[in-house]
Amino acid sequence: MTATGSAPQIPLFDLRLEPEDLDAVAQTLRSGWLTMGPRAAAFEEAFAAQLGCRHAVVVSSCTAALHLAYLAAGVGPGDEVIVPSYTFAATANAVLYCDATPVFADVVGPHDLGIDPDDVATRITPRTKAVAAVHFAGYPAAVDRLRALCDAHGLALVEDAAHSPSARLGERKLGTWGLAGCFSFFSNKVLPAGEGGLLATDSDEVSELARRWRSHGMTSGSWERHTRTAGGYDVIGPGLNYRLDEPRCALLLSRLRRLEAEIARRRELVATYRERLSQVPGVIVPYPDEALELSSAYVMAILLEEPDRRPALREALLAGHGIQTSIFYPAVHEFTAYRERFPGVSLPRTEWASRAEVTIPLYPHMTEADQDRVCSAIEGELAA
Amino acid sequence: MSWSIPLTDVVISEEDVEAVLDCLRSGWLTSGPRTQAFEAALSEHLGGGHAVAVSSGTAALHLACRAIGLGPGDEAIVPAVTFVATAHAVRYCGAEPVLCDVVGGGDLNLDVEDVARRIGPRTRAVLAVHFCGYAAEVEALRALCDERGIALIEDAAQAIDARTTSGRLAGTVGHLGCFSFFSKKQLAVGEGGLVLCADEEPAARCRSLRSHAMTSGTWDRHRGYADTYDIVDIGFNYRIDEGRAALGLSRLPRLEADIEARREHVRAYRERLAGVEGIALCWSDEEVERSSHFAFPVLLPDRPSRDRFREMLAAHGIQTTVYESLTRFSEFAGDGRPTSEVPRAEEMADRHVALPLWAQMSAEQLDAVVAAVREAAGEAV
Repeated sequence: MTATGSAPQIPLFDLRLEPEDLDAVAQTLRSGWLTMGPRAAAFEEAFAAQLGCRHAVVVSSCTAALHLAYLAAGVGPGDEVIVPSYTFAATANAVLYCDATPVFADVVGPHDLGIDPDDVATRITPRTKAVAAVHFAGYPAAVDRLRALCDAHGLALVEDAAHSPSARLGERKLGTWGLAGCFSFFSNKVLPAGEGGLLATDSDEVSELARRWRSHGMTSGSWERHTRTAGGYDVIGPGLNYRLDEPRCALLLSRLRRLEAEIARRRELVATYRERLSQVPGVIVPYPDEALELSSAYVMAILLEEPDRRPALREALLAGHGIQTSIFYPAVHEFTAYRERFPGVSLPRTEWASRAEVTIPLYPHMTEADQDRVCSAIEGELAA
Repeated sequence: MSWSIPLTDVVISEEDVEAVLDCLRSGWLTSGPRTQAFEAALSEHLGGGHAVAVSSGTAALHLACRAIGLGPGDEAIVPAVTFVATAHAVRYCGAEPVLCDVVGGGDLNLDVEDVARRIGPRTRAVLAVHFCGYAAEVEALRALCDERGIALIEDAAQAIDARTTSGRLAGTVGHLGCFSFFSKKQLAVGEGGLVLCADEEPAARCRSLRSHAMTSGTWDRHRGYADTYDIVDIGFNYRIDEGRAALGLSRLPRLEADIEARREHVRAYRERLAGVEGIALCWSDEEVERSSHFAFPVLLPDRPSRDRFREMLAAHGIQTTVYESLTRFSEFAGDGRPTSEVPRAEEMADRHVALPLWAQMSAEQLDAVVAAVREAAGEAV
């Protein structure tokens, strides 16, 4: 790849903010109250109502939400958490923050990149405390089966729902199947605010713990003291600063109103992609068509039947067509930091997918012409 | 019911609002050109050094501790009078904070001699806090740390632009300096922080660990500089986003004037509270000139009179705050070790109360606080 130092013509993602988003942020800034105040509370309430859970706790990132979820599950030194390797590293890193050991499980296969419940079952040991499932690209992992498995073994199920706000399995929203659901508001996500995350739960205890640990283990915050609903505070446990500030909460509340419409638009684009690209020789389009209606359509992933062709394809798409692509995901267990700590992990299906996958541009305001250019470029390059 | 005079207030100018909106309109919200510009401006403002902007002062302290290699089995010395994050950062690394005493007698900063006594074979670092914006004796601490071969980390969360006895900026004397841009701080962006490193190597570690130790970021990949990444350590998401960087960048040019306004208020407070029975001032007039005035604490004779005093001010609608000695919190209480005896820290923490202070505080508001303080001091003592 050449170091062009310029933005691609068709980027992987493209974030647009609307005038009402800007107004919401401007009003918040003018109010002078920038942290853990009324806007955080309003967004938490709106998100919980939209998801259908009892508690929503905003935090600084999905990484932070995962850390708090594992802590709430009682994960500590000597414990194991079964996690996918086909994910962003945070899913496993947060296990290490708790001084516990991530045990990697394989994915189902090229047509379903979610964690395989059968493989998870073989990796349960007396030290297993929790299982984490990632809803890849916004398509549900088998959390129904995982929930049953976890219940049978007395384990906590944590959903890494970074990709999947408002997505479902059956009638039930993703992020509400386990002890806690962890959401991301990172720039390239379905509900973006720059940096941000949220922990959703039906458990009063989990919510209380997450709230306390998000702000240093303090038993009251500066807003409570400002509004005279609390005097002093105690500190219990080495809590963190995982707070999300008010301007981002205002931005999220403004954007949440458009979430369903934006997901609907993403699904239309993905439906077109699926129809075009499933006919291209050498391309595997994961998940069945009918799964799209349940999905948040976060990213468009394709797999190449011949993974060796991936570097040349990505290079040609960028250099020849101005199309940015990415890899969701390099396998976590193959990163240097993990190979050093956990050598000898073998996950054949994950490893194959991580070499075969190409993520192509997707954003709600993508034009039909740009989408056509992406499809034609892939067709042309693979036929060459 | 809210306060008629709050502890502090953040005033965001229309220029600041416009800077944030410009950033939002650009559509690039994370780890991009504004963060780089904010870091460059802070580096210049703080006299050079490598600046790594992060999500909070707590994150800065955590990264600083990781950058010097603090880990399980190690100890780090932390003053008992500070916000809890200073000690928590040590615990995040699996190391043990050893609490040290403060100077006392109106100086709430850590005591160099007490630090020296607590250095043991497992001590890897000293975390020096510049409390309320008043510089600690970091030159002496740096000499001590160099002599013992341990690291000095400055917790300058409350003290951006404060000057030490030798006229150096707080946060630039130790191996690493940590700053906070939390709402109440002199340079407020909501949530945010900074690690400042004299050397490139720890800065590179902080930069890497701030974003999951990934060898490239989304901005690099967007610009075509990298097509994938490796992960080479166990890092975190401690990134600051572009909106906050834009806000900080807009506010930075007004920082010196804001601090001077705070100092004017403190001079006025001190002049009018000097000699009021029951109230003792902290630090000296000379130290006031060097402080960057995060907060204005005064001392009452003891904890019960201090608590009564606070209630009386609250009845006037005046908000105050206090910092407990860390030994008073469940998290650090019951440590039970003789090294945790910090009598002067507990005395200073029990006796102090911070009065309202912010740059745009009006003369009338200051008058009202002074009047209420005079009245309450007479009755509380």
